[in-house]
Amino acid sequence: MTDAIREARARSERLREAIRGFYDRVLPDDIKTKSRRHQVLAKSDYVRWMRLLHEQGWAIGHWPRECGGQAWTLLERFAFEDQLARLGCPWIIPFGVKYVGPVIYTFGSAAQKSCFLPRIATTADFWAQGYSEPGAGSDLVALRTEAVLDGDHYVVNGQKVWTTYAQWADWMFCLVKTTRDAPAHKSISFLLVDMRSPGVSVKPIATMDGYHHVNEVWLEDVRVPAENLVGEEGAGWTYAKFLLENERTAGAIVGMAWHALERLKDLARESRSASPRWRGRIGELELRFMALEETAYQAVESMMRGTGHGAEASLIKLRGTELYQHIAEATIETLGVAGVAYDTAALHAGGLPPLGPDDAGGIIKDHLYNRAATIFGGASEIQRNIVAKTVLGL
Amino acid sequence: MNMDMEAAVMLRDSAQRFAADHYGFLQRHAVLADPAGWSAKAWQAYGELGWLALRLPEEQGGLNADGLAIGALMETVGARLLMEPILGSVIVGTGLLLSQGSGAQRERLLPGLADGSLKLAFAHVEAEDGSGRCEVREGRLAGAKIAVLQGDIAERLIVSASDAQAGGTRLYLVDPGTAGVEVTRYRLVDGRGAANLRFAGAAAERLDPDHSGSAPAAIDEALDHAAAAQCAEALGIVRALLATTCEYLKTRKQFGRVIGSNQALQHRAVDMFLLQEEIAALTLSAQQALAKPAAERARIISGAKAYVCTAARHVANEAVQMHGGLGLTEELDVSHYFRRLMVNAGLFGGRDEHFSRFLESAA
Repeated sequence: MTDAIREARARSERLREAIRGFYDRVLPDDIKTKSRRHQVLAKSDYVRWMRLLHEQGWAIGHWPRECGGQAWTLLERFAFEDQLARLGCPWIIPFGVKYVGPVIYTFGSAAQKSCFLPRIATTADFWAQGYSEPGAGSDLVALRTEAVLDGDHYVVNGQKVWTTYAQWADWMFCLVKTTRDAPAHKSISFLLVDMRSPGVSVKPIATMDGYHHVNEVWLEDVRVPAENLVGEEGAGWTYAKFLLENERTAGAIVGMAWHALERLKDLARESRSASPRWRGRIGELELRFMALEETAYQAVESMMRGTGHGAEASLIKLRGTELYQHIAEATIETLGVAGVAYDTAALHAGGLPPLGPDDAGGIIKDHLYNRAATIFGGASEIQRNIVAKTVLGL
Repeated sequence: MNMDMEAAVMLRDSAQRFAADHYGFLQRHAVLADPAGWSAKAWQAYGELGWLALRLPEEQGGLNADGLAIGALMETVGARLLMEPILGSVIVGTGLLLSQGSGAQRERLLPGLADGSLKLAFAHVEAEDGSGRCEVREGRLAGAKIAVLQGDIAERLIVSASDAQAGGTRLYLVDPGTAGVEVTRYRLVDGRGAANLRFAGAAAERLDPDHSGSAPAAIDEALDHAAAAQCAEALGIVRALLATTCEYLKTRKQFGRVIGSNQALQHRAVDMFLLQEEIAALTLSAQQALAKPAAERARIISGAKAYVCTAARHVANEAVQMHGGLGLTEELDVSHYFRRLMVNAGLFGGRDEHFSRFLESAA
């Protein structure tokens, strides 16, 4: 074991300890309760939550020191996401601190850094991600939203889709086509769009959990100052890939799977009808979790050493999301009739579900919405393509 | 063609025709958006088409439909996700009344069932902790039932409860509007209604007034009818999911070609097809088993439901996955099929329960 790894392990253990203390002593009860029940958090809850993380220095712990961060190693970053998820904390809204922040401090102008980074760190601005389009999901390069330079402004026209929390966003980072002449991956630029600009409209997409997570964002003759272009015109694909690498540091999925598994074990213990065979099935899930956890830890360390195969993040996402979905299915089954009684109004208002434990409604909601976990952030099919190509050379 | 086959063909045709004209995705959406969660107009039409009387004997204007004929209708209930209480009232509730009701009770209630003015719901499941155990003493019912499918809209409940005097389980007819009944209404994941019921000295009329003691066997049979019907419903859903998924694979383009040209996806679609065929075979065998002795019936039907639950869920998961984000949206039928399957797996015996019964009823 190298000194660097030993040091990172010690630091990540201290971080986990600090997070447990934060959960016990700092996190307000109302957020804890909502989050434990997997109920719907309001924008104000999320903003409060992100600011609490920032007060601890954690919201941007992975940023370099000169940008206000703590220059976390991959292991600490993993431990941070994993530990919060294990405790059943709310989602760490990634669009600002995790996605666009690093793009701006790595490729942005001095003006962009001083304008945006402090407001990202404190969640003064809420960000959204304008990547997918109706014809460009897995195949991002096929996007059609166009930005045409007109004086010192780009005029943007097009449509984005699956834009999470666009209804709350002040800003959206956006992949746009700035030329039709270059090959696809050299025609894309990375643009920061003020959501209050004339011509931006947000249309909700209703998902089967009955909640409003995602949106269509329509851009009609939206004038974006040219200074909001990040880096160079036509280099957007490089930045987009850089961002996707950050998107796929999936410590959270391991923690989420652990949390869900522990809950499943509790429910099975409480349930009189859970047969020994059923307990055996839960045991199988526990075994699969152990494999995921060990693989994930070792993958993170080999990424730090630079001895990995390069597709570690794909591996963790594949195994993590698929296992998480299986755990959710087993939990719904364990809940029995309470696993199909669904009062969305109560879920929104913080009330109790019609049947079962107080988190039954939230468990259903998560089960339904997390069918998307194997679709967004690079579908499982795409992750397997990545592994086939980059690791196996197929 | 024998009578049973004729009834099956008739029901299949009429169900498909009606649904094509009156129960398209958008027409259904209006029903889903209605706070009532079902369509009284459609229900009336079902009565006119003879569906509501499908289990009634022919001398009472019914079709005397067997499992096969009932399944023919249930496939369309699945394929079009009909919201009305065909399973709970027409199949389970009516079945219980036919097997347990006295001549007078049948005479009184069957006409209303046939013309649609009466809907039954079977209130059977109790809380796991035993807190709501239902008991009848001197014609008064106490206890609680949960997750009663469409107990929110039924005019009469059939409640299983132990008889304090005679001992053993009996079935009782209860008016949910009567004093001593508290109804908590809510929606299930698929949008259909359900209710939790609390009884505090509610008037309860015993079915089987002669005390034949056959209620437990009748309940078993009714639950087997429900399971076989749910298998047929799942078959209708799975066929629809596979068809819509194959259509999507042939039209959705990414990376310059239709995604269905990827061999990996073709193979997964074939696996969905294999499951569909197995579901069809097990559904037919479950329908035929309804006429068999109890032990054999239990093994075949519970085995079928356990297998179909898992198989259909896999098909639905794959359909959502291959549709990408669209598969999760309200505006595509895929997510609605996903949710109906989820509810069917949770009601009238879950997968584990049926699997246990399958193992326990030796071949």
